[in-house]
Amino acid sequence: MRKAGAAAARRVAAGEGMYRIGIDVGGTFTDLVLARPNGSVILEKSPTTPTDQSIGVVRGIERLAAREGLDARALLRTTQSIVHGTTTADNAMIEMSGAVTGLITTRGHRDEIELRRGFKENIWDPALPPPPPIAQRRRRIGVTERLDFRGNVVIPLDEDDVRRALHRLAKQGVESLAVVFMFSFINPAHERRVREIAAEEAPEMAVSLSHEVMPSAPEFERTSTTLVNAFVGPRIDRYLSRLVERLREAGFRRELLVMQSNGGIMTPDYIRKRPVTVLASGPTGGVIAACAVADKAKRRDFVCADMGGTSYDICLIRDGRPEIKSGWNWHHRYVIGLPMVDIHSIGAGGGSIASVVAGALHVGPRSAGAEPGPICYGRGGSEVTVTDANAFLGFLNPDDFCSGTMTLDVAAVREAMRDQIAQPLKLGVAEAAYGIYRLVNANMANAIRRVAAERGTDPRSLTLVAYGGNGPVHATAQAAELGIGEVLVPKTAPTFSALGLQLSDHIVDEVRAYIAPSNEIEVARANRLFGEMTRAAERVLKKRKGQHREVRHQRIMHLCYPGQTFDMPVAVAGDGKLGKAELAATIERFHQQHEELHTYSSREEIPVLRSLRVTSVGITEKPALPTIGRSSKHPTRKGKRRAYFDGKWLETPVYDGSLLKVGHKVRGPAIVEEPFTTIVLHRGQSASLDRHGNYRIAVGRPRGR
Amino acid sequence: MAVAKKRGARSNGKGAGKRRARTSRSKRRVDPVEAEIVRGAMETVCYEMATHVSLTATTPILNQSNERNATILDGRGALAALSVGIPQFMLSSTLPVRFALDFFGADGLHDGDVLVGNDPYHGGGHLPDYNIFAPVFAGDELVLIASIQCHHADTGGGMPGGYNVDAADIWAEGVRFPALKIFDRGVEREDVTYFMRVNNRTPTFVGDLRSQVGAAQLGVERLKEVIERHGVDTVRGAAEYMIDYAARRFREEVATWPDGTYESDVYVDHDPKGNEDIHIHCAVTVDGDRLKVDFTGSDDRDNLQAYSTFGNTRGYVVAQIASMMDPSIPKNEGFFDSIDLVVPEGCCLNPPPNKSVAAGTHHPGTEVGEAIAIALAQVIPQRCCPQIYKMGMPTVIFGTHPDTGEMFIDHSVDTFGAYCGAVYGQDGWGAMNVSFGNLIRATGEINESIFPVRHMSRDYATDSGGPGKWRGCPGTQYEKQILAPSQIYTFVVGRKYPMPGIAGGMDGAPNKLSLRTGSVEEHEIETTAFYVDHQPGEGYAYRYGGGGGWGDPTERDPQAVLDDVLDEYVSIEAAERDYGVVLTGTLEELDLAVDVEATAQRRATIRSERGRDA
Repeated sequence: MRKAGAAAARRVAAGEGMYRIGIDVGGTFTDLVLARPNGSVILEKSPTTPTDQSIGVVRGIERLAAREGLDARALLRTTQSIVHGTTTADNAMIEMSGAVTGLITTRGHRDEIELRRGFKENIWDPALPPPPPIAQRRRRIGVTERLDFRGNVVIPLDEDDVRRALHRLAKQGVESLAVVFMFSFINPAHERRVREIAAEEAPEMAVSLSHEVMPSAPEFERTSTTLVNAFVGPRIDRYLSRLVERLREAGFRRELLVMQSNGGIMTPDYIRKRPVTVLASGPTGGVIAACAVADKAKRRDFVCADMGGTSYDICLIRDGRPEIKSGWNWHHRYVIGLPMVDIHSIGAGGGSIASVVAGALHVGPRSAGAEPGPICYGRGGSEVTVTDANAFLGFLNPDDFCSGTMTLDVAAVREAMRDQIAQPLKLGVAEAAYGIYRLVNANMANAIRRVAAERGTDPRSLTLVAYGGNGPVHATAQAAELGIGEVLVPKTAPTFSALGLQLSDHIVDEVRAYIAPSNEIEVARANRLFGEMTRAAERVLKKRKGQHREVRHQRIMHLCYPGQTFDMPVAVAGDGKLGKAELAATIERFHQQHEELHTYSSREEIPVLRSLRVTSVGITEKPALPTIGRSSKHPTRKGKRRAYFDGKWLETPVYDGSLLKVGHKVRGPAIVEEPFTTIVLHRGQSASLDRHGNYRIAVGRPRGR
Repeated sequence: MAVAKKRGARSNGKGAGKRRARTSRSKRRVDPVEAEIVRGAMETVCYEMATHVSLTATTPILNQSNERNATILDGRGALAALSVGIPQFMLSSTLPVRFALDFFGADGLHDGDVLVGNDPYHGGGHLPDYNIFAPVFAGDELVLIASIQCHHADTGGGMPGGYNVDAADIWAEGVRFPALKIFDRGVEREDVTYFMRVNNRTPTFVGDLRSQVGAAQLGVERLKEVIERHGVDTVRGAAEYMIDYAARRFREEVATWPDGTYESDVYVDHDPKGNEDIHIHCAVTVDGDRLKVDFTGSDDRDNLQAYSTFGNTRGYVVAQIASMMDPSIPKNEGFFDSIDLVVPEGCCLNPPPNKSVAAGTHHPGTEVGEAIAIALAQVIPQRCCPQIYKMGMPTVIFGTHPDTGEMFIDHSVDTFGAYCGAVYGQDGWGAMNVSFGNLIRATGEINESIFPVRHMSRDYATDSGGPGKWRGCPGTQYEKQILAPSQIYTFVVGRKYPMPGIAGGMDGAPNKLSLRTGSVEEHEIETTAFYVDHQPGEGYAYRYGGGGGWGDPTERDPQAVLDDVLDEYVSIEAAERDYGVVLTGTLEELDLAVDVEATAQRRATIRSERGRDA
């Protein structure tokens, strides 16, 4: 390559002068964000195509292109990267429509996945059904082999047993195989041998080895994670291949990146090796975006809350980073034992159904979803939902909803509200609707209290960052309930997850098991394993060369006190090679961290190392977030609307958010309408915009019992 | 019998409750929305208290296995709200609080007090369950009480570990705390904590106690915020509303049950001393919307080593009945009070003073639930599944760890399936009944790095689940190898009386524990094993009992039986013998199919045979 060409190529590789696209596929809408070469951002929504999400993705790109006055091909030719969040894996779990999956285990451990360490989700309901099986018992086979906890072979692998098991599984049409042997993460030889034998005996079968999917103890968590990986893998593989192909046909020649549940993005090739990492990644983009906008607003400790149609997702952010949890992550009734952004979800959204059961009001978790949806949508919904209550109370604009694409039938709500809620509770209709509003706020506030309690944090010390279409309608009242002083609502809130995709870094997590009392850790071995993991991560990230400002490797030790089941990640002290001093400092860090979270440490005990991890982050160039102008004039009202606050109907001022500028201040009671969301300001609350387009709402005294 | 009932009522603390009720009825009507919001806030405080223990306790049973239960009581000691935990245990945590209210009287408790109680004869279950509780005042008025109960690893007494199943009396089991202030008006009583420290073997005891005290104090702080947010009258009114609401929902459910008195007799194999057939007689009377549970006629032999205290018995009664009603009914005093409970003093479910309760807390404690389920199965079988276990006690292995030279104790709280029955419409599944849903069990990959043992098997044992229209969950074939010289201490029941079938369902397989497996000395345990030596390479094999079946097995969908055979929950032979389903083909070839005609014949034969037997 000629020199001048090389410089140009570097510019192209670095994405200068090019577009970037973020696409988040949700249940109802596919959200898109286009980052222009000048750093500004445009938002778009397009209906999701459930049977093949890639169709909706391409349609959405066409819409974006139209907004830019281009055709899709021209846009894609000048697009550097497409970052994608997909619910394909979650859909496979919800519909239980993954691959026909089989499991080979150590003899005697065939039933871990049913025993679940004794865990059941509801302690009061004996009729609770089991989770739908990924591999029925007939497709789970124990074979003769056993290692001890140091990886020594106690019983050699019986290869004939393996062949028999494979034949039996093949006969049952198994497409995807999970292999989980005891202590394989210490010594993977037996699991690897099964893959070799499978290549001979059943070459069509996809194989997931537990030590590659989740190289750490204990057996139930690893079995569950590996089974889910095997189950969703082939479908993810097909979906990504199809999407890559469709994008290629549409003229895209560069890189597709996919969001993972650890908050990082990676290539389809990387995802294919551990497809389970895209599970539950949907809301993660929103959390990343929340971190970015909060960072601009200089907020480092906050709770972000995403309220959509069916669920309310909360994540606690401390020191600018989302909490990562890597043990007891339950999704779709299976445990995923890999590092995931710790998002807590409750069944409360706009579509949540309100009902009176034996004289008590309940809201959710049942949801009317998008179809039939709330009564006010006029699509056949007949049960009162949270959105119906909000519409009835005047919080939502009936004539201009969802950026003018919908109108709301408030009159239809009244009768249902009276019959289903008000009369059984012996309340007035408005009181009943306000009761729904208050109860759902209280439920959400309690969810935040619980999440904060798990981390030993007082919610009053936090900022609340609210997004999702319904989030800002409720956030102000929730903050008041919680004693939170400030709410942040980004203008980009409704397509926040897609925005977050644009703001994500490449993340590779590598784990190696190393079990030893901390006084017996050999630094040479630890360094060798860290080196191995760092090199593995660099091999993957190297392909992205030119896109990264830098690559950061964080080395982590998973430590616990003897006898504890759940270990704790501790960042290794120092930057260079691990020496005796760094090791001692890391152990001391563990004691301190334990004291912070658990209020005590026991320095007389010798902590135990469970595993080593390297989290490698390839830091990407981020698009600049849009900024908005200033004004010293008073904001102009869009109009007035009757809305219900604290037992009274008030003629409430309504503002058009798109006309508000920095310097404007809106005082409650008031309503601010944005294209895809609405902010409700109660008495004593006021909102102003910062130049990054965040509404900053001062909440004032707790209120709204 | 009048005497018996009076005893029950006194232990129940109802007299005390009525006396206080006058001073603390709320002055204003609370609307249902407010009540629901306050209830949510209280349950969240319970969750915060329990989470505080999970985060700050030092022993795995508290910080990982979740054996901690948080509750909030009103100023009269009536249960207002509770959170996650284990039903049988959290429901036995109110009576110690009521004893303290009686003992200290209206002027004896103050803001900043924190109390401890663990005595089975003053409302508690068994000595290792320590209740820590603290009053919540608004001004000088007692409004609520925050309470947190935890199981501790030791409680003093004659045997380490709190399970002295052979104890001569309650004093031999451990130290008794009827009600004692650890904090007096916000100041720690160091004399008390020091006294508690020196009376316990485990160095972690005081740390765990502190964790509980911290949780109770956190509860007080949070509840004061709730009171400030909503006002005293609203909070009190909401608690009353929710209690009334639970009582109303309870009565509405009972009203749908047929009137009559339904009796049952259930048995525990034996107590640790070998007294056989510990008998529970239960008579449940449904009268309109009222429910009476009467254990008159239960075992009252005077030499038993099997006593469940009144508080313990009551906890199991409530837990079982709760499992038979709509799960959404709040479990509070309204629920408790709706049960007219009669337990004569002196029988195995309400012992004479000072008897040992270490073994009896579980057996006959748990069989209380079985008796109620069996009695009511005569009329509302679709609601009945005993939410219990037949564990005896954990299989304790101890010895010297060859790697460290230190003593180890493996309580074998491992993952295994056992005692999980079918309910109407649902086969038994998983490991345990849902009533243990929050108790997380140990794994091989972690425990083998701690103890010199090897977990060789926990697969379900084919045919161990009780046959039925809905099948009981199989128990597991548990095999553990021991790698260092060790001793085993345990107590076994459920051999003669396994988990019962309901409504024509058959019993689950019985327990079968063999020690010293892999040696010529292998033998089955009939009652107890006290300090049985094991050499490296030997082990134990525990075929844990399966759950009972529900309904006539010949009514099970033949396709479901075929699936069970393919999955090896059920053998081909048992399919024919128990379910009357005749299959063609073989399991090896995976070509099994139902022989429709032969099945119809076989089922007809079975029904006529069973009809003749009955």
